[in-house]
Amino acid sequence: MSNVTKGDVLLEAKGLTRHFVVRGDSGLFAKKRTVRAVDDVNLSLRAGHVLAVVGESGSGKSVLARMLSRITAPTGGSLVLNGQEVDLKAPRDKAYASQVQLVLQDPFAAINPVHRIMHCIERALLLHGTTKGDVLAKAHEVLESVSLTPPQQYLDRFPHELSGGQLQRINIARGLSVNPRILLADEPISMLDVSVRLGVLNLLRELCDNRNLAMMYITHDIASARYIADETVVMYAGQIVERARDASIIDAPVHPYTQLLVNSVPDPENLESRHEATAKVGGSTGFNYEGCRFSPRCPDAMDICHSNQPPVTEVAEGHLSRCWLQATSEQRAAVSITAKPIA
Amino acid sequence: MTEQTNILEVKDFSVNYGYGEASVRAVSDVSFTLGTSRVLGVAGESGSGKSTLVYGLTRLLRAPGVISSGDVILNIPGPDGVRSFDMLAATEEEIRSVRWTNISIVLQSALSALNPLRRIGREFDEVFRTHDKSLSKDDRKARAIELLAMVGLDANRLDRFPHELSGGQRQRVMIAMALALRPELVIMDEPTTALDVVTQREIVSELYELRKQLGFAMIFITHDLSLLVELADEIMVMYAGHIVERAVATELYNAPRHPYTLGLMNSFPPLHGQREVMTGIPGSPPDLKALPTGCTFSPRCPYAMDICREKVPPQLPLDNGTRLVACWLHEPSVGAAVPVELSKKFVSNAGGAQ
Repeated sequence: MSNVTKGDVLLEAKGLTRHFVVRGDSGLFAKKRTVRAVDDVNLSLRAGHVLAVVGESGSGKSVLARMLSRITAPTGGSLVLNGQEVDLKAPRDKAYASQVQLVLQDPFAAINPVHRIMHCIERALLLHGTTKGDVLAKAHEVLESVSLTPPQQYLDRFPHELSGGQLQRINIARGLSVNPRILLADEPISMLDVSVRLGVLNLLRELCDNRNLAMMYITHDIASARYIADETVVMYAGQIVERARDASIIDAPVHPYTQLLVNSVPDPENLESRHEATAKVGGSTGFNYEGCRFSPRCPDAMDICHSNQPPVTEVAEGHLSRCWLQATSEQRAAVSITAKPIA
Repeated sequence: MTEQTNILEVKDFSVNYGYGEASVRAVSDVSFTLGTSRVLGVAGESGSGKSTLVYGLTRLLRAPGVISSGDVILNIPGPDGVRSFDMLAATEEEIRSVRWTNISIVLQSALSALNPLRRIGREFDEVFRTHDKSLSKDDRKARAIELLAMVGLDANRLDRFPHELSGGQRQRVMIAMALALRPELVIMDEPTTALDVVTQREIVSELYELRKQLGFAMIFITHDLSLLVELADEIMVMYAGHIVERAVATELYNAPRHPYTLGLMNSFPPLHGQREVMTGIPGSPPDLKALPTGCTFSPRCPYAMDICREKVPPQLPLDNGTRLVACWLHEPSVGAAVPVELSKKFVSNAGGAQ
């Protein structure tokens, strides 16, 4: 694994899409409709970098993680692992799993409650080619890497004997035991007690730095994204609406949804103006697939937002926004020509 | 209603789970008073006893939970003066008369609080039918529609089943129901924890408006200290069943006195300023079955002294009695040097520094 240098692109998603066909809203015989859970998402996971994906429930962030780990098959787009395109028609093989590991949100559900911790770590190790004789030593090593010492004391326990924070470390250790290059962490701290959350976040950051892991950190907590991430993307209704390579996405968000998200976080430093700021939002939660998906809720929505998909505009270096408010005059002009015939 | 009246008075309240030697003490000697129309925030991690506390206070606690000591007095204002109602001595029948009418509760999971087989309208109807027999069917429906409008929901929601509503809408229904009979005290047990930040913000703003309108007192439970600073007049921080610190919200946030409060605040990455490495609180939350002797926080406390591991700290009044802190660091006879981060002078935003 030492041939990876920091910043190398390890896993790339190109136009990754997942649509689900579901029954309609109005009764048993209603027309089927399509939910666009993830739509045309492009991102790269780089060695030694943490990419944070922020969004509310239903924004598609977990479906994205499941597609990247190939648990859910995409309906469109492609994956490139270490520069080679992945054959998405073939079933996921062990080689892929050993490189890309997913850590799930709820450690109480992710670890088999009827077996000792050793069983859970051992299975992963044996499955991925560790010989029986080396298993114990290797298990000790991975538990030490997530600061669970002495390791034997934890290996002998059952999941119910451990706290949420310890179990989540076990969960991370299991992911690490197969020496992956890419770790996808889906809300790894949201089920944990507040006092132990930072410990797990710091652990993830250290692992990323020390092992040159490429990490995707999924969260709904934008402050924790600011804390851990090198790059942050904000998702809304299956699309990336804003992305930036530094904290500017939180310090100076440009997309109205990101602004709403940041303004919604309880902030004791800024007690005034809180209750007025978001009063106007609310109402419709529906998505508009014709125009901007956020337009039904957007306080700044214009006519064009309801009828045309907004283009992606670079507002600063590496800072992209999908919003008509930031669109350049060329982008606006391009639409007024094509939009006419449809109307 | 005068300013001085307390809607709720709690004294030496304790709750155990189980009996005898195997019992676990989930709430230990909690005392507090809540003024009319005030908001008390209760902060703490899971297992700190914050939910058990309110279940006990409202007599909703189920076996094996046992209220082992304490007094809970609800002061109900009426046309002929204030009536003191002993929550713990009351019979089940008497409790029913104050529930919903004078004291109501909103639980964390609205999905499990609403009957999945009933339309929303029927839930409302039942509340009115049980507690106010004088209302006609049409009146009851009109009241329900009015309540839904209060929390920003459309009247057509009455015909919906709980699964047809989003999480935020369900929680709004719960809040509307809790306010149905205009109680003087509403208890909110983590009402926004399962919701997105944006929805949380909407609901918190609504609560803020509703309280301005209706003037009910509120106990708001959450693990999110920064949310409490916005909402509450006073904050109580609980750890392993004990109140470790109690103070006016802004004072608690700006000048914490207990190491656990400080740790809790350092567990939330900030939205502003320099990005720097933060530590949270080392160790694991306490196991109530095997609590350490002395201060329950001592194994995780960076400032722990010998006495902390031996004796339970008393509740010390600090800053002219405006706050209570259960920590040996602040006991003068121990002679400990209080670390600078726990002895900050509170400077109010208005600039009234001393």
